[in-house]
Amino acid sequence: MKANGLLSASQTALMAVVARVMGIIDVPLRYLQRKTGQSGMAAFFLAPNMAIFAVFVLVPFVINFVYSLTGGSAIFLSDRSFVGAQQYSEIFACGNYLDPNSCKQDVFWIAAGNTAAFVVLQVSLMIVAALITALILNREIIGRSFWRAVFFFPVLLSPVVTGLIWRWIFQRQGVLNAVMQGLGLEPHDWLTERNSAFFASIGVSIWAHVGFYTLILLAGLQAIPKDLYEAAQMDGTSRQRVFWRITLPLLMPNLIVVLVLALIKAVQIFDEAFVLTHGGPGTSTMYLVQYIYETGFASELRNPGLAAAASILMGAVLVVLTLAQMAASRKNEKKGAR
Amino acid sequence: MGRITLEKVTKSFGAVDVLHGIDLDIREGEFVVFVGPSGCGKSTLLRQIAGLDKPTSGEIRIDGALVNDVPASDRGLAMVFQSYALYPHMSVRQNLAFGLENARMPKAEIDARIAEAARMLEIGDYLERRPGQLSGGQRQRVAIGRAIVRNPTAFLLDEPLSNLDAELRISMRAELAALHARLKTTMIYVTHDQIEAMTLADRIVVLRKGRVEQIGSPLELYNRPANRFVAGFIGAPSMNFLSGQIEGVSEAGTMLRLFDGEIVTVPRRADAVQAGQNVSVGLRPQHMRVAHEGENGVPVTIDMVEALGSETVVHAHASTGEPVLAVLQGQHNLSRGESLKFAFNPADLHLFDNNGVRVSGT
Repeated sequence: MKANGLLSASQTALMAVVARVMGIIDVPLRYLQRKTGQSGMAAFFLAPNMAIFAVFVLVPFVINFVYSLTGGSAIFLSDRSFVGAQQYSEIFACGNYLDPNSCKQDVFWIAAGNTAAFVVLQVSLMIVAALITALILNREIIGRSFWRAVFFFPVLLSPVVTGLIWRWIFQRQGVLNAVMQGLGLEPHDWLTERNSAFFASIGVSIWAHVGFYTLILLAGLQAIPKDLYEAAQMDGTSRQRVFWRITLPLLMPNLIVVLVLALIKAVQIFDEAFVLTHGGPGTSTMYLVQYIYETGFASELRNPGLAAAASILMGAVLVVLTLAQMAASRKNEKKGAR
Repeated sequence: MGRITLEKVTKSFGAVDVLHGIDLDIREGEFVVFVGPSGCGKSTLLRQIAGLDKPTSGEIRIDGALVNDVPASDRGLAMVFQSYALYPHMSVRQNLAFGLENARMPKAEIDARIAEAARMLEIGDYLERRPGQLSGGQRQRVAIGRAIVRNPTAFLLDEPLSNLDAELRISMRAELAALHARLKTTMIYVTHDQIEAMTLADRIVVLRKGRVEQIGSPLELYNRPANRFVAGFIGAPSMNFLSGQIEGVSEAGTMLRLFDGEIVTVPRRADAVQAGQNVSVGLRPQHMRVAHEGENGVPVTIDMVEALGSETVVHAHASTGEPVLAVLQGQHNLSRGESLKFAFNPADLHLFDNNGVRVSGT
């Protein structure tokens, strides 16, 4: 639109075309609304999205569930035999659930244990890192926009690229060992020693995702009115008390969102960790999705039914976490409405 | 306790000068209102006093002690914010107690102060509620309560009523005045609403573009505005300004030729004016009435009439095109397009020179 508020000739022509097209579309839509009513129109407009959801989410989910009830190594469903809940029984066949080696599918339980440990450590460390980063980036620091971009940049990278970059850094002949040697320190087998490989996978995952969660927390920090801090300043509140009594409680809605999103994402850990360590050494960095992938597709004795059953179980965990997020969001909305 | 003195206080944000050497002496127990249009620097000035901002130069003293480098919390002041600035996740009681807990005050003392403030402000029934569960007026009381419990040497109030509806604003205004009368504590109040300023203040400080235009009691400002800005800002509706010319100054006062050629004598000797000098003639809308047949007055043509029952507001224009607004007592049968004259008492005229400075004398 021009500064004087009038439309240019080309804009007027475009508006005329749009009006013409809308007029043409309007005729059948009005007819449809007369026939179906307003609720029918809502279904009509939702139908394309529902179709996409069905094709790419619902149908695969159902097929996956059907696979989990079948046995054998054949790929096509028609070649597979129905075994009922046998795959689930196999997974849960354990002498002692706290000892994976007593389970028939010991690798599943090792992967589940690794995933649980990964989730607890990665999520807690990442939330602390995201919070600290957000608090720093919320201050009047020099080059604030630049630093915000720097922290967000890894989020834009493909997980495979992330994994490859860090493998290049962590490998025996990698950058980190070169730097350590330059400083006169002993090189370390970062990716072939159990604990360091595990913590490397956690560190890389945090590096890759912390920017996203920082952004959410930063938005939350900026939404806290400055007046509250000034009121606290007038009240002589120490910086620690301001953080614990004002910032943290007011940031809690964002923290809950970050917690649940990070939990869901962490349960799904696969690509960057797989590229980094291939699950090794041994099974020390094998996580659930890798187990599912290898059981279903990558091993010579592939068992798509077992993989499907494992993925259904993992899906159940994700559903619980998603419901938790929805409940937390609703609680926040209610709080906000008050 | 509670005397606040400002000497040549300036404040700049980068290259932008917001305050230009403010001198001010606020006496103990005084209710001073900073008033002025948006962007005049009144809130900035309040923040310098509060300690939320540091002046670029100049001195701020509280009870004689220089406080430029004293943190806000150590100045013994309490502030009520425009947005209330209540902690939304805390109950009213926790909001009131928060500042006192910072000072590590014994719990019994905190409870006593909260009880006293709650009684004074009638907020006892909702001490356990959160701010989000309160109305605007209740929140405002809590914000004032939070200031009261600190037992400050002075209250700083930054447009505290601006978020309230008109009716509530009037009642809260009265409550604030009563509160000041009861506490007898120095209060500095920022507003852009000149009616709030007129009704609350012992003294008003009129600010424009970071400078003090005039300091005085509400009636001093109303009756003897120092310049055309103050004359136009104080009083509602605003003062009318008509063109005129000085005819001469005598013992009887200042002779003035109005735009229509009529000569009137303002019964005050104007300061430093010369015959033939053009002046701006100020006349308040309330000081006009419809002229009788044959009586002198300002000839106008009516543009619009607002009949409010107890008074009639007439929007008109003079032959020079200058707008003229009159607030006439009672009801008048006037209509748009009608020509008439507004009579006035020459003693009610205010004269301002070309720079807007008052010249109409005492």
